[in-house]
Amino acid sequence: MRKKNPLENRMNLPQRAVCWLLLGFFFLIMFIPMWNVIVVSTSTVLDSSASGIKLWWNSFSTEGYEYVFRVTKLARPFLNSLYVSTVATVIQVVLSAFAGYVLIQKELPFKKGITSFIMLTMMIPGDLTLISVYQMNKQLHLLNTYTGLIVNGLISGFSILLMRNYFTSVPYSLAESARLDGASELRIFGQIYLPISKPGLATVFFLEFVGKWNSIMLPATLITDQDKFTMPLMLRAMILNDASQSGAAQTPNNAIMATIVISTVPLLIIYVFAQRFLLSGMTLGASKE
Amino acid sequence: MSRVKAPKTPGEPVTWKKLKKNRFVYLMLLPIAAYFIVFSYYPLGLGLVNSVQDVKILGNATFCGLDNYISVLKNPQYSQAFLNALIVGVGTFALQFVWGLAIALLLNEVRSKVLKSVVQSVTYIPYLLSWSVVGGLWMMLFAPTGMVNGFLQAISSGEFTPIVFMSEPKFARAIMIFTGAWKGAGYYAVLFLAAIVGIDPSIYESASIDGASRLRQIFQITVPNIVPTMKVVTVLGAMGVLRNFDQIFIMGTSSILDKVRNLLYLIYTQGITQFKVGPATAGATLVLIGTLIISAVVRKVIRYDDTYED
Repeated sequence: MRKKNPLENRMNLPQRAVCWLLLGFFFLIMFIPMWNVIVVSTSTVLDSSASGIKLWWNSFSTEGYEYVFRVTKLARPFLNSLYVSTVATVIQVVLSAFAGYVLIQKELPFKKGITSFIMLTMMIPGDLTLISVYQMNKQLHLLNTYTGLIVNGLISGFSILLMRNYFTSVPYSLAESARLDGASELRIFGQIYLPISKPGLATVFFLEFVGKWNSIMLPATLITDQDKFTMPLMLRAMILNDASQSGAAQTPNNAIMATIVISTVPLLIIYVFAQRFLLSGMTLGASKE
Repeated sequence: MSRVKAPKTPGEPVTWKKLKKNRFVYLMLLPIAAYFIVFSYYPLGLGLVNSVQDVKILGNATFCGLDNYISVLKNPQYSQAFLNALIVGVGTFALQFVWGLAIALLLNEVRSKVLKSVVQSVTYIPYLLSWSVVGGLWMMLFAPTGMVNGFLQAISSGEFTPIVFMSEPKFARAIMIFTGAWKGAGYYAVLFLAAIVGIDPSIYESASIDGASRLRQIFQITVPNIVPTMKVVTVLGAMGVLRNFDQIFIMGTSSILDKVRNLLYLIYTQGITQFKVGPATAGATLVLIGTLIISAVVRKVIRYDDTYED
């Protein structure tokens, strides 16, 4: 055995066995619940309400999915969520890029003031100004509107910082020489900074989309009209079986599981295609600098 | 946040020419400034004003000094909510920390790339999901006909009566802690793994040459080397302890709510459902202060600010 490569120094067999066993346990404890959801969502009503360990189909059925679209009318909250999250995320990416660009200007008058004005907002946790946010939205007539869902939380200090970090990796001299050549600020921003910072834009886009798709507190505060429910609100109404809100009698288990699957699909698609952006952004969020 | 200070340029006057030169940048700033004024600073100010006012649904609000704060501090509901938030918050953090660390250390021993990414993805995905999904999933699993009872039935001998987990106050906090850690463990694992990958391989090499076993290397090289990341994770976790709303909003069924109702949930129901605006905003301000205190204490205890001093 070559000792030079540290990876060559392995554990002995019993240690490796314990390692695999533990890892298998952690894997199963994560995997089994999710697998159970998939199986139950595609079982018949009868099977899904029977007790027992449901890890394989008795009989495969799509009636849970048919139920949620026919009876629960899930298309509406799904499209609401999709619309609100997409529009808000696109605007957020643009505005974060703007703000990031402002923050890297070296000879900007009042820059210090501007920087602290933006950074201070990061210290104001949105969830703790909840009641005032509710009142403000009431004053602006944004309760029960899509606009309300879109504009609240439209910019976050985190995404601004992320864009700023990407922009600082662009050599400032590049912008300076373009300026000397007479390029407009809009061109410098659009043709030098944005193309180089595509991974940053993607990271902000995917992270914020996930955050908005999953958002519970904001819609729970702003929305009472069931036509404007987003997926999390709808799912909650179904789970808590609140007849006054879901307007229906008890939702069958397979339909609830189907709703869980449907809420998850967009995120899984994002995870598959944008894994590296998500992971890099989330690791960045927890680094100290 | 960056600690690097921009070099000062003293004596450079702000000239009209400079302002004009940067007009495009100011134009970019305009929507952002407008947004922050309306959606961040205004609610903050409104909250502070409301917290010292007796707000009525009809009629004008009147100034009442610190009455709202005093009533919140005296209100047993708030102290119970604080306790619930603290127990569930600290418990979740501790379990999630150990769980995530274990996954990271174990995954680091896996050499098959495919296997590694499969396990990492499966453990990480719950973190991506909304609490409505994770909460709903576990409420289904903990239901009388759910899989947890299925397992219990399978291993129990004789008569089995399903446990109604979600309406049993004695399980309530344990369930919140477990599901919270289940959702977040994979995320912590990602953070720890990123730190492990960054460890200088030559340290392991020299340890191997000295004949240190792999197990010893894990505990004497890997773990000590990711302490800085552990500290960052701890500080971030401390800031979140009092701010868990989503989980309880989804999973807090009426029969267990007394055990798990936390500060944010209480503030939400008081302020938005019951229109007690004054006490609710005062409560929110106190949560903010509490969060600042907790994170300051945690920073001090784990000597966070010493870590990066040169």
